[in-house]
Amino acid sequence: MTTPAIDTDGLTKRYGSTVALDGLDLTVESGEVYGFLGPNGAGKSTTINLLLNYVRPTDGSATVLGLDPWDDVVALHDRVGILPDRYDTYDGLSARRHLRLVIDTKRSDDDPEALLTRVGLTDAADRPAGEFSQGMEQRLALAMALVGDPDLLILDEPFTGLDPHGVALVRDVVAEETDRGATVFFSSHVLGQVELVCDRLGILHHGSLVGEGTLDGFRDRLDLATDATVEDVFVELTEDGVRPEAERDEPVATAEGVSEGGAR
Amino acid sequence: MSRSLAALPLSSLPRWFPLARKEARTVLTSKGTWLLAVFVFVFGWRPTYSGWELLGPSMSAGFVQVGVTTLVPLGVLVLSYGSVVGERTSGSLKFALGLPLTRTDVLVAKTVGRTAGFVLPVTVATVLLGVVGAFRYGLFSPLAFLGVLLATSLYLAVLVAIATAVSAVTTSTVRASGAVVGYFLAFVLLWSQLAVAAYSSLTGRAVNPYDPPADALLFGLLRLSPDRAYRTVTNWILGAGNAGESFTILAIKLAPGQSVNGYAVETAFAGASVPLSLHEVGGVVVLLAWLVVPLWLARYRFERGDLA
Repeated sequence: MTTPAIDTDGLTKRYGSTVALDGLDLTVESGEVYGFLGPNGAGKSTTINLLLNYVRPTDGSATVLGLDPWDDVVALHDRVGILPDRYDTYDGLSARRHLRLVIDTKRSDDDPEALLTRVGLTDAADRPAGEFSQGMEQRLALAMALVGDPDLLILDEPFTGLDPHGVALVRDVVAEETDRGATVFFSSHVLGQVELVCDRLGILHHGSLVGEGTLDGFRDRLDLATDATVEDVFVELTEDGVRPEAERDEPVATAEGVSEGGAR
Repeated sequence: MSRSLAALPLSSLPRWFPLARKEARTVLTSKGTWLLAVFVFVFGWRPTYSGWELLGPSMSAGFVQVGVTTLVPLGVLVLSYGSVVGERTSGSLKFALGLPLTRTDVLVAKTVGRTAGFVLPVTVATVLLGVVGAFRYGLFSPLAFLGVLLATSLYLAVLVAIATAVSAVTTSTVRASGAVVGYFLAFVLLWSQLAVAAYSSLTGRAVNPYDPPADALLFGLLRLSPDRAYRTVTNWILGAGNAGESFTILAIKLAPGQSVNGYAVETAFAGASVPLSLHEVGGVVVLLAWLVVPLWLARYRFERGDLA
C-alpha cells in the first residue's frame, strides 16, 4: 500500500478552553477524492490549517504525503496545491504576477496564460486582483493551487463565491487532477456538489469525525433510503440534538461497518 | 529590476527571491514611498555657512544625512508595520505561507524585498541631492558619497527589519502601529534624553548638554539608537567628527567660540585620549545589531505561532 496522502493521529487543537479539534484520526488514501464535511465551526478549517502548518497542534500528529507539516514544510508545500479559505489576494498585483510568484517559488515551468485559461481568467491576466469579484478571486486562487502539478490538492471551501459555471469548473478541475493521479482533499458545505465529486466522505462534528465512508456505505449504515443524499446523511449525523459528549463515546459510523475505537 | 534578474536562472537564487521581488514591487508601487523620496530631497537640502566651513564641497553628501534622518524613519516604519500582521488579518499571508518556504524565509523575503523597495527611491533622491549639490558647491569625493549611500541603505534595512519584526509578533495592526510609534518616540525623538537619564541614574552624575563629561559610558549609550548610530557612521565617512548629531549641529559645536546643545566626542574629550570603544565604527556594529537581533527574536515567535 502506498503512503496515505494525509494521515492524522489524535490531532488536537485547543484555543484556550475552546476545543477546535478533538483527537482527529483521519486517513486519506493516495489518489482518492475526499470530501471533508461538517457544520460551521466543526473544525474543518482548523484541520486544514494544521495540515498546512498555518497553526500548530496542541496535541497529536499529522503527516501529509508522508512528510511533517512543520519540519518538512518546504518539501511538502512543493508538492501540495493549496486553495485556502478566508484568504485575500494581493490587491495591487495582477493575476499573472500572482501566478508568477507561485510558479517561480515552486520552480515549475508552468505557463501563467495556460493556467489562467484553464480557470477562465484569460482576459483578466493583467488586471490587478484588487478589482476582481469574489468569483474571479476564487478562480485565481484555484489557478495558484494548480501550479506545478501537485500530488495533493487541499481545497478549503472551493465553491465559495462561485456561480454555477465556476462550480462546474471546480468539478472539472478535480476530475482532471485525479485523472492525472493527484489526491484531492476538500472541505465544503455545498453538499450537492460533494456528492458529484467525492469518492469518500468524512463528516466532522464538534471537532471529531462522526462518520466516514462512501455515500452508499452511509445509506446502509444509517438505514437511509437508497436515494438518500449527502444532505440526508449530513443531517442525520450532525443533528444538534446529539450531544458531542455522547457522540464521542459512540463508535464511528464507517461505510465498512462500525470501527472499534471510535473517534476520541 | 525583474528584467535584468530574469536572465538569471531561478535555481541560482534563494528560494525566497520571488516573494522578495513581489514585496519590492509592492513598496515601489506605493505613492508613500515616492513621497518619502521627495521629502529626502526637500528636507535634505540644508546649506549652512558652518556646514561649508566644516566640510567644503562634501557638504552635499551631508545633505543626504539630514534628509534621511528627518522623515525617513517614521515614513519607513509607517509604511512597513503592517507588512506581516496586515496580511495575517486580511488572509493574504495564507498564500505566502502556502509557498514552499519556511516561515523564516518569509520574514527574510519581506525584509530584503521591502528594503530594496525603499533603497531605490531614496537613492534616486540622494543622488539628486549630490548632483545638484555638486553643481552648486563643487565636486566632492565620490567615494565618501558612495559610503554615505551604503550607510543609508544599511539604515533603511534596519528600519524595515524593526518594522517587520514588530509586524511578525503582533496580532493586530493597531498593536503593531503602537509598537512602531513607541520605537520612534524612544529611539528617534527622545533617545538622547533617555540615554542621558540612564547615564545619570547609573552614575549619579548630572549631564550638562552644552558641556557633557568626557565619559565613554555616556557617549556609548548615546549611540545605541539606530538613528544616532547612522549619524555617527555618516559623520565619520564625511570627516565631520565623532558624534551622533547631525552634521549641521556638529559644525556649530566644533566651530571655535561657539556653543550649542549637543554631544561631540571631540569637544568633550578635548586634550584627553579618546577610548577605543568610542571609535566611529561602533556605529556600524550598532546598526548591524539592530538589523539582526529584533528579527532573530521575532523569528523565534513567528516560527512557532498560529498564523491563521
